[in-house]
Amino acid sequence: MAETMLELKNVEAGYGEFRVLHGINLRVDKGEIVALVGPNGAGKTTTLRTILRMTTLYNGEIRFKGKDIRHLPTHKIVEEGVTMVPEGRGIFNPLTVYENLVAGAYTKKAQEKMDDTLEFVFSLFPRLKERRNQIAGTLSGGEAQMLAIARAIMSRPEVLMFDEPSLGLAPKIVLEVFDTVVKLRDEANMTILIVEQHVKNSLEIADRAYVMEMGQIVLEGEGKALLNDERLKKAYLII
Amino acid sequence: MIDPSLVANNVIDGVLMGLLYSLVALGLALVFGVMDIINFAHGDFVMIAAYLSWLLAMAFWLDPSIIAVITVPVFFLIGVAVYKLVIEPILGAEPLIQIAVTVGLGYVFQNVALGIWKAEPKSFPNPWFNFSIDLGPVTLTVAKLMAAAISLISLYLVHYLLTNTKFGLAIRATSANREVAPLMGINVRKVYAITFGLGIALTALGASLYMSWGQTNPYLGQSFSLLSWVIVAMGGLGGVVGVLYSGLIVGILEALGTTFFTASARLAVVYIAFFLLLWFRPRGLFARR
Ligand SMILES: Nc1ncnc2c1ncn2[C@@H]1O[C@H](COP(=O)(O)OP(=O)(O)O)[C@@H](O)[C@H]1O
Ligand SMILES: [Mg+2]
Repeated sequence: MAETMLELKNVEAGYGEFRVLHGINLRVDKGEIVALVGPNGAGKTTTLRTILRMTTLYNGEIRFKGKDIRHLPTHKIVEEGVTMVPEGRGIFNPLTVYENLVAGAYTKKAQEKMDDTLEFVFSLFPRLKERRNQIAGTLSGGEAQMLAIARAIMSRPEVLMFDEPSLGLAPKIVLEVFDTVVKLRDEANMTILIVEQHVKNSLEIADRAYVMEMGQIVLEGEGKALLNDERLKKAYLII
Repeated sequence: MIDPSLVANNVIDGVLMGLLYSLVALGLALVFGVMDIINFAHGDFVMIAAYLSWLLAMAFWLDPSIIAVITVPVFFLIGVAVYKLVIEPILGAEPLIQIAVTVGLGYVFQNVALGIWKAEPKSFPNPWFNFSIDLGPVTLTVAKLMAAAISLISLYLVHYLLTNTKFGLAIRATSANREVAPLMGINVRKVYAITFGLGIALTALGASLYMSWGQTNPYLGQSFSLLSWVIVAMGGLGGVVGVLYSGLIVGILEALGTTFFTASARLAVVYIAFFLLLWFRPRGLFARR
């Protein structure tokens, strides 16, 4: 059996007094692509943020490779090997493309491997190499998303989480993003947890998936199986 | 008729002072740019550092500018401590709370100074460099020339730190997006503490240099605060270079105010020019677009 990379047990979390997650149980095994889908406001972003200690945790357990990471600050969790491509990309706009990538390799471990990682992300996204000296704020939406992904790769995560990476992108680029996610698992040995609104696409690439509603997991199963689930088809109008 | 050599002298004086103002304002610009906090006590740190420079200069009988080797590291540590005790608890609080806290801090500093040293100005009676040299029609005060040169070097060093070091990149990344910076493994609290410490260390450097010819009183901070705000508002978005240019403009305007009006009108001249500038370029001299 594959090693369990991420494990959430009965996680209750939110923002200050405002409770969003009401007992989340979720597991991601090594080498898996796990999708987390659900309507707007269900708490998907909050789940990812909670793993990185960017919310208020009231109850529950969060483990990375068996280690309790509940009390580590965000930057330490990144050092451990978990990071996220945030919703809305979060590019450092005034910095150049190259500086964004170097910032991504901030941890000591990542810095040591920076040259190799750079070569890898440039092979993945040749456009970024061409534009390495450009101010990141001037990139197009698709390029900015590539940069956000590349920057996250720079920290050499074992678990990479994506929060709606295809948001606002043209259909062709959306497909590229999904291809990249699969490549990262297959070629870079990464374990993936992906939040997406393109439910069909993400269930197609996912080994397993969780469906979330109102702060709770309401359905889970293999990606392909969920794709044919009548309840899900109705709820998300998957054709 | 106004004597042209008087104008030239005052403009040169303005340039020298402008560099010192840039140095002090850079501390405010760093804290504002990175932490999004306006430190209303900024000038009062200059005032307290000026008293410390004076005290140590008197104790060791050394020129206050030399005392910078003590005040700068001490104020860096004071800055880190003030960050931990006063600033960190109000990060992300309502702007009104942040204003109340930093204005209050400045008020405490002023009252401490007033309580200990009274309102009477203090200066070092045996300055080493407060003499003039004549260069044709212009006369230069060596202490100011030194202060300006050290300010310029320090501005360059901060610029170098920001653009050429790993920690500088962390500062700029945090300034660009403080929510996302931790996802790179950047410890944002540490970036804040060091940035605040650095900002306060710059006030101490400015203060020690200034005390090699100037005098301090409990209200010295007010004019340094006002000038720093104007400089940051004018050029803060342009990074270190923006602060440098704005500081020079402010220093020259102040000097021209003294030349063509009276010394007491100098701040009014700076302010009127500032309002005019905001009229034409509401986002400052270095705003993009
Ligand atoms: N920073 C925040 N502060 C307070 N409430 C928030 C914050 N972010 C999200 N929420 C609330 O948490 C709930 C879940 O949001 P989110 O996790 O962003 O949902 P999703 O990503 O599934 O669309 C929503 O009701 C939202 O209003
Ligand atoms: Mg979301």
